[in-house]
Amino acid sequence: MTATSDLDTPATAVPRPPAEDAARRRRRWRHLPQYVAVSPFFILFAVFGLYPVFYSLYLSLQRWDGVGPMKFVGLENFRYLLTDSQFWDSIANTLIIWVMSTVPMTVLALLIALGLNSSVRFKGALRVAYFMPNVTSIVAMSLVFGSIFSGEFGILNWILDLFGLGHVPWLTDPWGIRCAIAIMIIWRWTGYNAIIFLAGLQALPTDVYEAARVDGASPVQTFFRITLPLLRPVLLFSLVMSAIGGLQIFTESQVLLGDRGGPGGAGLTMVLYFYGTAFADNDFGYGAAIAWGIFVVVVLFSILNWRLVQRPERGRVTTKEDAR
Amino acid sequence: MTANPGHLTFWYTYNGFSENVLKAARKRFAADKFVPSQVSGDLTQRLLAALAGGAYLPDITMIGDNISRYFGDSDRFVNMNDHGARELAGGYLPWKWHAGATPDGFQLGFPIDIGPAALYYRHDIFEKAGLPSEPDDVAAAVPTWEKYFTFGERIRDKLPGRYLITDTKTVFTYSMAQERRKYFTPENTYLDDQSHVRLAWDRAVEAFGRRLTAGFGGSQTAGGQSVDRHAAWNTGQEVSLVNASWITGEIKQSAPGTAGKWRVCAPPGGPGNQGGSFLAITAACPDPQAAFDIISWLQNPANQAANYAEIGLFPSGPAAADDERITAPDPFFGGQSAVRVFADIADQVKYAYFSPWDITLSDTYTDELTNVELGGKDPERAWRDARNRIERLLRRQGVLS
Repeated sequence: MTATSDLDTPATAVPRPPAEDAARRRRRWRHLPQYVAVSPFFILFAVFGLYPVFYSLYLSLQRWDGVGPMKFVGLENFRYLLTDSQFWDSIANTLIIWVMSTVPMTVLALLIALGLNSSVRFKGALRVAYFMPNVTSIVAMSLVFGSIFSGEFGILNWILDLFGLGHVPWLTDPWGIRCAIAIMIIWRWTGYNAIIFLAGLQALPTDVYEAARVDGASPVQTFFRITLPLLRPVLLFSLVMSAIGGLQIFTESQVLLGDRGGPGGAGLTMVLYFYGTAFADNDFGYGAAIAWGIFVVVVLFSILNWRLVQRPERGRVTTKEDAR
Repeated sequence: MTANPGHLTFWYTYNGFSENVLKAARKRFAADKFVPSQVSGDLTQRLLAALAGGAYLPDITMIGDNISRYFGDSDRFVNMNDHGARELAGGYLPWKWHAGATPDGFQLGFPIDIGPAALYYRHDIFEKAGLPSEPDDVAAAVPTWEKYFTFGERIRDKLPGRYLITDTKTVFTYSMAQERRKYFTPENTYLDDQSHVRLAWDRAVEAFGRRLTAGFGGSQTAGGQSVDRHAAWNTGQEVSLVNASWITGEIKQSAPGTAGKWRVCAPPGGPGNQGGSFLAITAACPDPQAAFDIISWLQNPANQAANYAEIGLFPSGPAAADDERITAPDPFFGGQSAVRVFADIADQVKYAYFSPWDITLSDTYTDELTNVELGGKDPERAWRDARNRIERLLRRQGVLS
């Protein structure tokens, strides 16, 4: 950004010898290719990123159905938002589904990664297999899961019936709905995280393990005392990524349950509520207000995450490098 | 500015128009450079974006049954009465024609299809239960919802494990479809007296209380169709349903094994309409007369009949509903002419104003009904919650003060 001062200097402030002027002009032109080279990103970002962000702020102060003139309503939309039980419910739903999906997912992914790390055969094939769900079309997936979770005629209930466990109203009971969505997220992201964990495991220094083995540590001790602490940065990365994804849960709910989040609104996540308000009910002003409400929640969450990452590391393993 | 200057662009939805008719139209109106363009995704969103931006607008567009949302901004469209619409009005159902006009008579929409609601039922199961099973007899046996419910209980007594009707939402939606007033006056004043809504609500709750609804909530396919309901059609667990004509295709497609076992007849509670669409010309169109000529040709009786034959859009013109190509006996309905049944119902439908908020309000009520049906919520509390939510919403939108 220092280069901009060149461009902004008033040319007529002090009379300068013509030679110096020419040199300045040359210098200005010399930087042009670089500016041109980086400009596409900034132009696209300004048009498709920055402008919509500020426009949505403007929109959140209006009442607008998408066709007629906008009507300025001040902070009315936000006042309504604060007392909107549906909005608060949607925050709760999002967080509940996030916890319900992230905890089992992390454990599962870690187990899979440990398995992959120690197995010798079919390593590549297994890795691809675990990664497949992540690149499967989420809409196609939701259709399949719709048939699996279907209350009366779903495969899952049929299997539960076989074992005499009875029917679970997956898509009608509030907890059933959240479970179903969480299972879809787990199915989709476990493989992805397992691959990340695997990469983390393979980067761990082997000498620490050798030392542990020499000292007679059991595999369980090795796991909890060495693997987990050393894997902490990777675990945090996965946690941050899952928080980013978790706060944006949308497609699973929408395809499985429709724009209104299913019975009791149990599958109504923040983003789904925003989408339904803006694009199904065409209440764009309030939709924008919800989007800014989501923004605040995300900021709070980011602060929480940041604090978590910044916390001094406890239970560190002293490696050779540190000892030196 | 239109999307394609020099051409007449027509936006339509997936499965929204017969491709054969469009192919013929393209040839016929080659001089006008008629370009039909199927919008992927949600047409309303595309149209709103184009209207808001004032650019890339279509010349002709399809509009759904909530056409009234554009009435306040009719200056963005063309009044078809200026181009000879009035002379053609007689060829279409008066209530449908009326629904395309603003309160001050600006003809914004030209009728495409309608959704007359009939009682679909399983002839074989009614017969097995020893109850009236021929269409005329069934219609005579269930003139009211009350009689229909009693009829359903008799079926269940004979053949346990079956349901009379899909869910509380169906009962509520089609009860409301039969009402002369819905939620607003044509001047967009909220009807404070919602006793007719309460009636439909109570009826839905009653059907549930008498264990006549299947209540397959939740699971649905991409098009919002219920997976469980499809299964119930195949197994014969859902013995009947009140629905608009457009469900015929879904039943045929998802339960082909039940071909010949279904019949349709006049529904309990009287004639009603649910759904339907219009064609509109945007103000951006440089040659509205040419656009209107295309529209009136697209919606002539022969083409409306083709629209029904190919994609199940029920014609809004009585002449098309009389076309032999579509009134022929339908083997899926045991050789019955389903079109004649629907046409009879459509003839008796009365105009009812469909406001820009109707869909949201109806959804709010049916959401709460679903909570009663599937979540065990107290009906009285659910009613209060629905009313509160609606009043809050309308106040936020400035409709109520």
